[in-house]
Amino acid sequence: MGTTVCPECDGDVRPSDDEYVCTDCGLVVAADRVDRGPEWRSFDDGPADGKRTGAPLTRSRHDRGLSTTIGHGSDTRLTGRKRRRVARMRREHARARIATKRDRNQVYAFTEVRRVVGALSLPESIQEQACTLFESAQNEDLLKGRSLEGFAAAAVYATCRVRSLSRTVEEIAAVARADERELRVAYDALNRDLGLPTGPVDPREYLPRYANALDLPQHVEGRATDLAATAVESGLATGKNPSGVAAGCLYLAATDAGVDCTQADAADAADVSPVTVRHTYQALEERRDAPDDAVGTVAVADD
Amino acid sequence: MDRENRRVISKEYFGKDRLAEHHFRSFNSFLNRGMQQVVDEKETIETDIGDKEGEEPVFVELSDVRVVTPRVREADGSEELLYPQEARLRNITYSAPVFMEMSIVKGEEGEERVVDKTETKVGRMPIMVGSDKCNIAGFSDEELIEIGEDPADPGGYFIVNGSERVLMTSEDLAPNKILAEYDTKYGDEIQVAKTFSQRRGYRALVLTERTRDGLLEVSFPSVSGSINFVTLVRALGLESDEEIVHRVSDDPEVVKYMLENLEAAEVQTEEEAIEALGKRVASGQGKNYQLKRANYVIDRYLLPHLHEEGVEEEETRINKAYYLCRMAEACFELALGRRESDDKDHYANKRLKVSGDLMKDLFRTALNKLARDVKYQLERANMRNRQLSVNTVVRSDVLTERLEHPIATGNWVGGRSGVSQLVDRTDFMGVLSHLRRLRSPLSRSQPHFEARDLHATQWGRICPSETPEGPNCGLVKNFAQAMELSQNIEDEQGLKRQLDSMGVEGIPGLQGQGHDQPADD
Repeated sequence: MGTTVCPECDGDVRPSDDEYVCTDCGLVVAADRVDRGPEWRSFDDGPADGKRTGAPLTRSRHDRGLSTTIGHGSDTRLTGRKRRRVARMRREHARARIATKRDRNQVYAFTEVRRVVGALSLPESIQEQACTLFESAQNEDLLKGRSLEGFAAAAVYATCRVRSLSRTVEEIAAVARADERELRVAYDALNRDLGLPTGPVDPREYLPRYANALDLPQHVEGRATDLAATAVESGLATGKNPSGVAAGCLYLAATDAGVDCTQADAADAADVSPVTVRHTYQALEERRDAPDDAVGTVAVADD
Repeated sequence: MDRENRRVISKEYFGKDRLAEHHFRSFNSFLNRGMQQVVDEKETIETDIGDKEGEEPVFVELSDVRVVTPRVREADGSEELLYPQEARLRNITYSAPVFMEMSIVKGEEGEERVVDKTETKVGRMPIMVGSDKCNIAGFSDEELIEIGEDPADPGGYFIVNGSERVLMTSEDLAPNKILAEYDTKYGDEIQVAKTFSQRRGYRALVLTERTRDGLLEVSFPSVSGSINFVTLVRALGLESDEEIVHRVSDDPEVVKYMLENLEAAEVQTEEEAIEALGKRVASGQGKNYQLKRANYVIDRYLLPHLHEEGVEEEETRINKAYYLCRMAEACFELALGRRESDDKDHYANKRLKVSGDLMKDLFRTALNKLARDVKYQLERANMRNRQLSVNTVVRSDVLTERLEHPIATGNWVGGRSGVSQLVDRTDFMGVLSHLRRLRSPLSRSQPHFEARDLHATQWGRICPSETPEGPNCGLVKNFAQAMELSQNIEDEQGLKRQLDSMGVEGIPGLQGQGHDQPADD
């Protein structure tokens, strides 16, 4: 309903219940027979139930969340033969929910995805997307001879990278049932055959987490973000472990701001060796010592 | 009293911290000991691993549970403290991570070894604004304003998905008390003594009724129909006629009634009685199983509230017999007109379930759900020959979901609905009134005139005038301003010792004392 002006008298049009009425002349400009207002019946007491729909469809369940169960009835309890029959039907029905091996694998992998996502406190949308990715991998027949757990973990890892919320392989492997090797194998397969839209990881994606782990104040993190940006732009970060670059930037930013932070701490937070941190740190230092006008012209020491 | 003193007192009563004090006390005690209690009750998670030949059994031991203060994990992975106002504005839940120490134990009995012991995050617990674990606890007015919080806000509610929810205090009939009343059966008036026996979230109704032919019958869960009173007390170890009569009453009239009962007794000894009970609870089964089942039913379903940590079943059984005798006495006295039927609306027969109690119920079912999931995950991981580790079998969203969803919708465990309500922010008074409101679980579609009436015992506890008009009239009440809510104590032994020192005799389960005392209610 786009009209806000009455076609007859140019007065204001206001929505009231299910009609759009002109406030001046009272003309009903449009009617929308669906009343979107609150329900007037009371469902608090009695058997009436206000529910009309179930939960929305979701990709993170093997049946899209559209399952039926044989319930236990409300008032009359069945007895004897009939009860046994219903119990049998219930059991058979529960078995029939998972029809194929493929479905069973999906159920297992989806719970694993859900668990990893929960353990890393990632947003729920990641779960949905990771499950979809897993399904595509299944459709492409990538799972043969590789581990389910690896694919579940790799789906989460890949989704994080695609969404620029990168987690390191180590971080995922720490909470996943798969080990690092399984994860890498699965991720390589995903990347190769599904053509994931991922580029190199930007070290900036790691900064908030590491800064948090190191308990660094906001301004240090901001400074580190700037440093990381220059590092990426100048090509200084190319070919380096982005975790290490992030840690190096944080370390440099912290020392500049006079905040207490050792190279070992920074390396620990990023799960890299102190040497890696030092590399980035020294490279950045060198760059800063070089005259300003040299920026971009001087190829940064090839390391 | 002079004006100055009165002013001091009313300041105390109407001060900001007192208005929602009952919520804070209840929720804090839930956080401080209730949660650990629930975990200790659960103790272990058993699995089916080891049922197969040549497989070592596995189970999980639960120990310390710990809640930190509310924090939020951003998408980029950083974690920060969360303040209520931010939760409201961002439509997120004001909840704190819960950690639990779990150990996976493997091996045959006697040679168990711990495979993995880790403290792991099991989920998130919604935190009451203003409670001990709230991030604004102990803030000064200036600090509160600094973080965007209203210093006058009373707290006492939760924030789930950005909406503020209060848990409605509910008014239930007191558990573990004998209530005597009249009832009708087949057109005749009979006398009934009722007890809602409650322990650890399990609630069992035990009924003792005197039927029209003067015989006593007891019914309790897991037994269909009712059981002869004499049979049951004999099964509990109260054997001789003399002792049974003596335990019920010394009143000659009551003794007469009791003798009628003993005359009609089906069994004479404890063994016979247990056999008779076995036939009732497992009819058509083998004899050994019947006996096993009878003993199990007695110890598990009959008067569970008489059980106590560290007291043997043997002793509890005789206490149960004494308790049933008290119930019998109540029936007879009612039949003889020696007492009136108990008043259900009397405030001494009411207990209030405040937010902490409600959260405890919720946490218990959530933990059970988590345990079932851990069991499943362990079995799956084992089947696929994975290394079993605590971190990879706990799904933290299970507990979180089970805790948040009921608060968000008001659909509590046990089928109650409307337990949590959106805080009434119409005006400031509305909030205060809402936090001090209580609800009777009685259906509002039925008349229940007596329950809606103002009862004399509500004096000083319940406001005599604040109640809604319409269907909820008299069922929704509000606290009186100066009401004090007393709370369950932590140290029961201490209470018993105190009572003993004040001269109460025959306290059961009091340590460092003879065990020959009977148990009264």
